Amino acid sequence: MKIFQVALGILAAIGGFVDIGDLVFNVSAGATFGYQLLWVVVIGVVGIVVYSEMCGRVAAVSGKAVFDAVRERVGFKSGLAVLVASQVVNLMTLTAEIGGVAICLQLLSGLAYRWLIVVAGAALLVVVWVTAFEWIERIFGYGGLCLLVFAVAAVKLHPGWGAVGHGFVPHLEMKSPLLYAYFAVGLLGAALTPYEVYFYSSGGVEEGWGPKDLRLNKVNAMIGYGLGGFLSFALMIVGGALFLGKGIEPEFLGSIALGAEVPLGQIGLLLALVGILFAVSGAAIDTLFSGAYNLAQFLGWEWGRYRTPRGAPRFTITWLVLLVLALGVVMTGVDPVQLTEYAVIFSAVALPLTYIPILLVANDRSYMREYVNGRLANTLGLIYLIVILFIALTAIPLLILTNAGQN
Amino acid sequence: MSDSIDLGLHVVDRQLIDSEGRRCGKVDDLALEGGAGEVLEVVAILSGPGVWRARAGLVGRLAAWIGGGGRVRIPWECVAEVRAHVKLRKRAEELGLGRGDDRLRPLLEKIPGSDR
Repeated sequence: MKIFQVALGILAAIGGFVDIGDLVFNVSAGATFGYQLLWVVVIGVVGIVVYSEMCGRVAAVSGKAVFDAVRERVGFKSGLAVLVASQVVNLMTLTAEIGGVAICLQLLSGLAYRWLIVVAGAALLVVVWVTAFEWIERIFGYGGLCLLVFAVAAVKLHPGWGAVGHGFVPHLEMKSPLLYAYFAVGLLGAALTPYEVYFYSSGGVEEGWGPKDLRLNKVNAMIGYGLGGFLSFALMIVGGALFLGKGIEPEFLGSIALGAEVPLGQIGLLLALVGILFAVSGAAIDTLFSGAYNLAQFLGWEWGRYRTPRGAPRFTITWLVLLVLALGVVMTGVDPVQLTEYAVIFSAVALPLTYIPILLVANDRSYMREYVNGRLANTLGLIYLIVILFIALTAIPLLILTNAGQN
Repeated sequence: MSDSIDLGLHVVDRQLIDSEGRRCGKVDDLALEGGAGEVLEVVAILSGPGVWRARAGLVGRLAAWIGGGGRVRIPWECVAEVRAHVKLRKRAEELGLGRGDDRLRPLLEKIPGSDR
């Protein structure tokens, strides 16, 4: 029974791994550079496994979620700066996800986009308000598994497997190094999106994890995110096999779904759209809650997705306000795919703010007792810290120099 | 572990939990007492937006203004335990904590399904 539950959790995690940032950056990277950037996805996925495991362990041992730890380690003043930066990036991501939901609904129904934004917002609101959280997780996680159609599509498109294999070997590209670097930073930003660790660590606290759950935490982080990474590979391979050299830039979510239609026909298209719809809706809910978690944890309010709205009023009001704000931004007609690129790049800039306090806490014996970072976690943690600092510093210059990947 | 604790590192900024397990604010600051040459003694925990003014300059003042500026003084005798969180001996209502949540609750109760 226990194994069955773990398996269900993992399935939901795979379906829940991919969000609009992964969809956009993996397919565009494939369309622009073929399979050459696959190795970057591996680095990103290992990174999110390392830091999720760390956040889950901190939550299990100390009962503290990310923003409890941020405030305690860096204090009120600097912590407030981290909070504001994180909330801005989180709201951008939320907006992009909601826009993505509306686009999917438009492609499935043919109705007007503007109305579907309202439908998307209302649907998310109702689902979150009336559905118990364990069901939300399952519905969107399993629905997101439809994205596995991209794995089938990747095989059916008969990519040159030699070239795919070569893509896993780290290398640089000399013809257009800046664009290559831009996509590398975007792929890392998309894989390491901070809302994933906010949500994951808060979930650990809510489930009442203790030291006995550390193995579960490790398995969840490694297998859930690890297998989720396979979907990213599939997306990039489809992008490369279908769009590379044809001058097609997958600027629309519809062209991403096309990646499944070309090799698999109508059924492929339908599965792709349903998969994208569920994955992006699930990510919208995760980001929505993450914003409320962060604020409540920083200020000490009651919080929790298992609590009734009346059990955690300020937490509830916060996510309601975030939802309305995000809907307002989508309604201005901003292009969700473009917004996604900006959200991913800006979240890359904010990454060190989240991950440095986590690394500090995971090494603090007064919090972690015998469960402080071991040598492996610290070596990897430090390597990734350097990677994260590097991408944080280069993200904005690359965004400007490459005109957001346009040239 | 020894009986002494580092106040800056182990008390300030921790989560306050009331006697019924409710999260009801953070330790925003401490009130100390004791004259020159005397041993300083912690007499109370200070919590609430009003305390931020002293902690974060202009930003703190802005945040305090947005937060309504309230502050609550919790006598140290009401502290039951300082571990990962600071546990209190009394209920939040008795100490004047968690009022933001209490004020908004009736509003949410009007919406069907708020107690699912």
